[in-house]
Amino acid sequence: MDLYEYQGRQLFEEEGIPVPKGIYAMTPQEARKAADSIGYPCVIKGQAKIGHRGQAGAVKIAHDADEAEKLAAQILPMSVRGHKVNGVLLCEAAHIIHEYYVSISVDRTSRDYDVLATAAGGTEVEDIARQHPEYVKRLHIDPYKGFTLDDAKVMAEQIGFYHADNDQAAQILLKMWKVFSDSDATLVEINPLAKVGDPDDESSKSLCALDSKVSLDGNAAFRHDGWKRFADTAPADPLEERAQQHGLHYVRLKGQVGVIGNGAGLVMSSLDAVAGAAQDQGTDIKPANFLDIGGGASAEVMAECLSIVLDDPNVKDVFVNVYGGITSCQLVAEGILEALDKLNTTAPIIIRFDGNAAKEGLETLKAANRPNIIVESTMEQAAAAAARIAASMEGNGNTQEENR
Amino acid sequence: MTLFVKDGAPVIVQGMTGHQGMTHTARMLKAGTNIVGGVNPRKAGQTVDFTDAEGQVRAVPVYGTCAEAREATGAEASVVFVPPRFAKGAMVEAIEAGIPLIVVITEGVPVADTAYCVALAKRRGVRIVGPNCPGLATFGQSEDSKGTNLGIIPDGIVKRGPLGLVSKSGTLTYQLMGELSDIGFTAALGAGGDPIVGTTLLEAVQAYADDDATKAVVMIGEIGGSAEQEVADWARTHMTKPLVAYIAGFTAPEGKQMGHAGAIVSGGKGSAADKKEALEAVGIPVGRTPGQTARIMRDILTKRGII
Repeated sequence: MDLYEYQGRQLFEEEGIPVPKGIYAMTPQEARKAADSIGYPCVIKGQAKIGHRGQAGAVKIAHDADEAEKLAAQILPMSVRGHKVNGVLLCEAAHIIHEYYVSISVDRTSRDYDVLATAAGGTEVEDIARQHPEYVKRLHIDPYKGFTLDDAKVMAEQIGFYHADNDQAAQILLKMWKVFSDSDATLVEINPLAKVGDPDDESSKSLCALDSKVSLDGNAAFRHDGWKRFADTAPADPLEERAQQHGLHYVRLKGQVGVIGNGAGLVMSSLDAVAGAAQDQGTDIKPANFLDIGGGASAEVMAECLSIVLDDPNVKDVFVNVYGGITSCQLVAEGILEALDKLNTTAPIIIRFDGNAAKEGLETLKAANRPNIIVESTMEQAAAAAARIAASMEGNGNTQEENR
Repeated sequence: MTLFVKDGAPVIVQGMTGHQGMTHTARMLKAGTNIVGGVNPRKAGQTVDFTDAEGQVRAVPVYGTCAEAREATGAEASVVFVPPRFAKGAMVEAIEAGIPLIVVITEGVPVADTAYCVALAKRRGVRIVGPNCPGLATFGQSEDSKGTNLGIIPDGIVKRGPLGLVSKSGTLTYQLMGELSDIGFTAALGAGGDPIVGTTLLEAVQAYADDDATKAVVMIGEIGGSAEQEVADWARTHMTKPLVAYIAGFTAPEGKQMGHAGAIVSGGKGSAADKKEALEAVGIPVGRTPGQTARIMRDILTKRGII
């Protein structure tokens, strides 16, 4: 789960990582008030869960209240590369003397935590890593041993902070680790970690987190009150939300063939098989969704799944691919028939069963004798049939609404 | 020893008395696994009756802790079915008890808990398989041995044969086992779909490479991370047996988690296309579908005279 900048900043403030004065606002009027209380010039940052917001025009500087209100009104309705801006963060504009980059993340390869840092900040860390790999330090935190102030001091030296910044850098590294571990984060990034202040006044200079990027581990939500305070106010996809309420994992895509299967890997594979078959057939048919019914699904769950998938108006037909391990194909068959009774749909359902109770399930389907149920014996054949049927329906201008 | 566990090794089940635990303990016993105990502090001292592979009733004792279970039974492996919030405690307990192999089926374990346990297990020389995996099944090395089934992999799909299989996905494991059932397997290992797992694709491939009975390896990967690239890097100079791969998730959009916690393309990294490219660059064929993957494997085995 990714956080907005203002939410990550909240975690930083709670841990005592220095951040510039900032106020979150959801309307131009709120932004005007916030800007007045911060003072000018004031940075207005559109809040979207994506990087390069500045390049997209979602970060601006206001010099007075009218400008703050006007700029907020421009930024608030924006989308940055498909990510909706959900509010603006108004921050005091800092005088930047130097920029560092520091992040802590889960390292899937070394199976520990990675501290990625450079004293040569200011540009993209990926670019620096490419051009001057020697400037980017990659250090590790042992998940068993953890991380202490002494470790942080050594690390600050290794990263190459200016000598004057070392002590504060060590404190910030330790606090970043606390945010990371206490909040079950998978990423805590400060870019830039800036040295700010009056260039002529040494005592005014200090390190400050001018941005935040934090991702949390969804699997750990149970020990953080479900992260209710970070719940997104932006409306979720209604079908994704409905699936979630039933404990199902549904991802809406943009194609025409609904896909339902058991197990995340098999469902992903089914999506690929549909897209691959369509390519072979010379059409641009694509899978419409990912939906995993999970292990040991009941007839009710299967019925709900079919109903969710068919509620997507782009869906022409549905490919049901089940390899019964714990899941019984017989129960899946019962669920399909139950759903068809309830939904009264004529959308073709292309079915492939294998494994646990596949024979019984196929007999149940055969006995029901429904004109829109098509059984194929292999996954490849079923995917090809689903792609072909969807293409022919689309070609006829035959929409699902007309079918119903 | 076939892949990390001896035939007939004594096995305990943590969370045996829960619904999942009961269902799969019954199934594992039927498949011939030597289940000698369960662990549940609230039910210590009780026994639970199951039917074993010979149709005999076996009263399986419940112990209060892994240490007691290990002491009483000499357990060499534990299968973990506890809910996510108890998974760390269960793993730590099994590691501290010195059980050499811990197979964690539980889905939804926080990554920090897994990272901690994997780091601890490494220090103690303990192997974790999973979490969020279907487990490990080995297939009997002789006529009178059934092998060991640790987890939820259905038995009866395949028999003993020359193939080794490792996978990030449960149902794709069964799918490929089904496609190649006539050829047979030495073992199937579900590495798991989480960002951090106790046994990586590479560690499993290396174990198969060292196993004389395994003549060729099937690897099933998916989007997220770079475990497949690590296999490619190693295989380039070390792998002498045929290795055929399948990767799921070519159609997965960037930034969307596809079911498994670890199945996500982020920051342009972890895509199926990158993995395929890395594998093919070192001569490892990648099938377009599970069916095609099986056909490639069949062709290679035929050409090499293995089948």
